[in-house]
Amino acid sequence: MQQLDRKLGFFSALPMFVVLAVSFLAPLVVVVLFSVMPQKVFDLAHVPDFSSFPYFFEQGYYKSLLWSLGLAFCSTVILFIVCWPLAYGMAKVFGRFTLVITIAVVMSLFVSENIRLFGWVLTLMKGGLIDGHLQAWFGVGIDGALYNVPIIVFGLVYVYFPFMLFPLAQGISMVPDDARQAASDLGATRWQILKEVDLPLAAPGIMVGSLLSFVLAAGAIAESKLLGGQKIIVIADEVETAFTYGQNWPLGSALAVILIAVIGGFAIFGINLINIDQIMGKKR
Amino acid sequence: MTINRRQFTAGMMGATGLAALGPTSALANRNDQMNILCWEGYNSDEVLSPFRRANGGSTVRAESGTSDPDMINKLRAGEVNVWDLINVNQPWAKAQLYPEGLIKPLNKERFLPYFENMLPEFQAPYPLAFADDGELIGMPQRYGPFSFVVNTNKISVDMAEDQGWDLFLDAAMSGRYGVLTYDNWNIMHMCMTAGIDPFEAVEGDNLQKFKQTADAIFAGAALKTDDLVAMNTALINGTIDAYFTGGTYTASPARFDGATNVRAITPKRGPVDGKGGLVWVELTSAVNNPDPSTLAEDFLEFVQSPEISKAVAFAEGTYNPVSQMGDEKVMSLFNADELDAIQWDSLSDDLSRSSDYRVVASYDELNELYNAAKRG
Repeated sequence: MQQLDRKLGFFSALPMFVVLAVSFLAPLVVVVLFSVMPQKVFDLAHVPDFSSFPYFFEQGYYKSLLWSLGLAFCSTVILFIVCWPLAYGMAKVFGRFTLVITIAVVMSLFVSENIRLFGWVLTLMKGGLIDGHLQAWFGVGIDGALYNVPIIVFGLVYVYFPFMLFPLAQGISMVPDDARQAASDLGATRWQILKEVDLPLAAPGIMVGSLLSFVLAAGAIAESKLLGGQKIIVIADEVETAFTYGQNWPLGSALAVILIAVIGGFAIFGINLINIDQIMGKKR
Repeated sequence: MTINRRQFTAGMMGATGLAALGPTSALANRNDQMNILCWEGYNSDEVLSPFRRANGGSTVRAESGTSDPDMINKLRAGEVNVWDLINVNQPWAKAQLYPEGLIKPLNKERFLPYFENMLPEFQAPYPLAFADDGELIGMPQRYGPFSFVVNTNKISVDMAEDQGWDLFLDAAMSGRYGVLTYDNWNIMHMCMTAGIDPFEAVEGDNLQKFKQTADAIFAGAALKTDDLVAMNTALINGTIDAYFTGGTYTASPARFDGATNVRAITPKRGPVDGKGGLVWVELTSAVNNPDPSTLAEDFLEFVQSPEISKAVAFAEGTYNPVSQMGDEKVMSLFNADELDAIQWDSLSDDLSRSSDYRVVASYDELNELYNAAKRG
């Protein structure tokens, strides 16, 4: 009877399993198949020629990928540094006030990313909220706040803030207070406690937050377009251009596949850097 | 939880029932529904609500696209089953949609008479609305000259028209202009800046000339964006004095808001049969939907009426002249501010200096060079 139940459970779950497989995997499979098709075809009934992949180097698309990865790395590092004190406070210090911060940060997600970024454009542009006030009060303004690389990093940090903050707070909450106190009693300095106790024990949260922020930032497009004035062309922008103005679905698919492979590689490498099971106290 | 055979069977019956509903509804008669894929404007309440009222009980849906190729991608990806009408710029219908069987001919008897009341440029009948086999493949309505835009407080209209595309190669303009990244337009305009006719094959030295021009224009750009509001804002607040690629379509929202110093310019001369500007004309075509709706042609006829023509011209977002302005009844619906927003005073001159937007013969090669230049 137990075996029959297991079988019935499997068969009942099968339709949903198929739906999930089709929704998640089918688009990826189509993208992978298109990536090996000849240039500028719009269906899969062609002999694969892999011609889009050499283009990645010949046409300089690798520069856009490097920019995207570089920006994602910078923003992830800055996010970690900026979020750590707040996450620590949320996990260990603020008590009930943590809920207020959580709601405030989550509320920002209710407004679309583009609208929030437009808000920053209006704030930072020439004659905008900041420049306008500075001009009126002191007669000097900030001319070049928009349309440069640092403002793109700022945009990424701003947009992906919650994706680093909450996993980090969760990670820090896993650090036992006893361990910190014991380290302190045994003469460890604050720096040593951070390095030897907090960081290793909060590593799962750090890794999850970093991966989320990095992966999302590497595929981001709006920050470069709206705040950065396309000072640099990110890889997601190249994918969009190939699919639309280029009318070259195989090239767009190949760029997407390369992006997925590189980011997937980084993610797997990152997860392997730490032994999550050991940190979580599980035995293998 | 234990699942017994009866519960399992009931679940499977439910799933089968749900699956059976799909095809049944898909095969239903579609003459009480119509879906249009269009540029912004045709999807506004001012246009759709009267049509819904006139066809009581019908379901009329419209989706606005962000670029011609984006909308065409939807049809190519199999959405011919979804849409009844598509509204894109003139060369796409003739060069790609019709040859690929994505759109179908319109009823000439029903639609040819409407050309008689159009502006002179669209009468006789307008050649790009017809396929090579003579079939009518779309109705023209909104149009606009499209070259570049300046802040007339900084650059005079006369100077901009005289200097033309060379304005953007002037060393004094470096860092003083933006590039609106409507890539397909920029490719044509960069050809014209390089003194090349984009509608002829571009080869040899001309490819090198195009590359140098594209490199120079991107190198001197203070900002690049595909957002016309951001570009107009930068023009108004003084971040830039001009932007590369733009026209009445992009300048009109700022002008209608009172910033009449934002002005679309058509160069006096250029390499396309001596013309320095380009003009876009939207064509609305019937999608080759295997389960067509009769409402599609009804709607196409409906938007030719004076009130709806005006509503299409001044719908949300951007404001544009319409070919139906050749009809007194349509013209009388526009007030002075509206005519000023679409630069009616110089529209006829601008059109005479503009060539029709056509298919770019060497688009693939130029697109590669263009994107490499944009990347830097």
